[in-house]
Amino acid sequence: MGEATGTTGDRVWEVFRQESEGDPMVHGGNVRAPDEELALHYAREFYGRRQESHRLWVVPREAIVELDDPDLLQPPFDRSFKRPGGYLIKHKLEAAKERAKAAPAPEAGE
Amino acid sequence: VSEQLPPKTRDALTELLLSMADDEFVLGFWDSEWTGIAPMLEEDVAMSSVSQDEIGHARAWYELLASLTDDDADAIAFGREPDAYRHAALMNHARTDWAFTIARRFLYEHADAVRLEALAGSSYAPIAELAAKMRREETYHLLHFNIWLRRLAEAGGDARQRLEEALTRLWPDAQAVFTPLSGEPALLEANVLPEPMEALRSRWLERVSPLLTELRLPVATDAPPPDGDARTRRTDDFAWLHGQFTMVARSEVAATW
Repeated sequence: MGEATGTTGDRVWEVFRQESEGDPMVHGGNVRAPDEELALHYAREFYGRRQESHRLWVVPREAIVELDDPDLLQPPFDRSFKRPGGYLIKHKLEAAKERAKAAPAPEAGE
Repeated sequence: VSEQLPPKTRDALTELLLSMADDEFVLGFWDSEWTGIAPMLEEDVAMSSVSQDEIGHARAWYELLASLTDDDADAIAFGREPDAYRHAALMNHARTDWAFTIARRFLYEHADAVRLEALAGSSYAPIAELAAKMRREETYHLLHFNIWLRRLAEAGGDARQRLEEALTRLWPDAQAVFTPLSGEPALLEANVLPEPMEALRSRWLERVSPLLTELRLPVATDAPPPDGDARTRRTDDFAWLHGQFTMVARSEVAATW
């Protein structure tokens, strides 16, 4: 199933599943099928026949746009300031909470 | 509920249930033979799953039957001699090749759909409820085999030729799904069966004809009605399958599974 097209001219379809309403769609795996209709049927058999899925998305592999360039995804310079972990805000947060407790509650509508 | 039915209606009801259960049971076993050898991995899993669905439907009908006759569903399914099965002649044939399997499933799934649609309106609530549930799964089966029929027909060459031969060979026996039951008048009178089998057969012919005609596949809408023995005659193929599916149950008759 690794090739994009098999010897029979089948295509590879990536399957995404949602466990229950509101959950994110998560990549489940893929199926090989000659057309959209059978791809849906096979996706249902592989990723939905045990009531484990609320919704399936079936996407032809060639429709996926891939980005894996390390220059863009793993830049060589220190970018830790772009991550929330780059700041220590614990003390600031505590101080803000104290101030909030001390201040009188605002009037409604203000 | 069964106590409320007159004996005549109850006997006819058991005849109807047994015929449907045996159709699903025998076909489920034939097609489960594709496990491991279907044309491609995905179809292998799909075919195995669809076959399991049919055996699941058979189980539901056998259990309803067992509740009416104070019997045991497993005993009905596995404890009879080949001559006591009541599946349509369509299910007398061996698995054969993929085209044959697709041809049979196409013809049967549409027949079963017509039958279940009618029974969803049955006055006998347990049948109506089961039919409504089964229709939800059968819709998917129907689509699956419509797709395969088209694929083989449009592939041309050997695939198409095998499909044409299989359809021609199976056509007379496919009528057998709608063999009138001996107790049919009682079922119609009580509205357990809302329409005669012969009316359902006409509807089935109207359903399968458009796709077969579009694909220029053999279709004979003037097919004669099924013979009287279309649900009682058995074949060597079926005797062999019976030996297979009863093998484990026969190995230790008194065992609890």
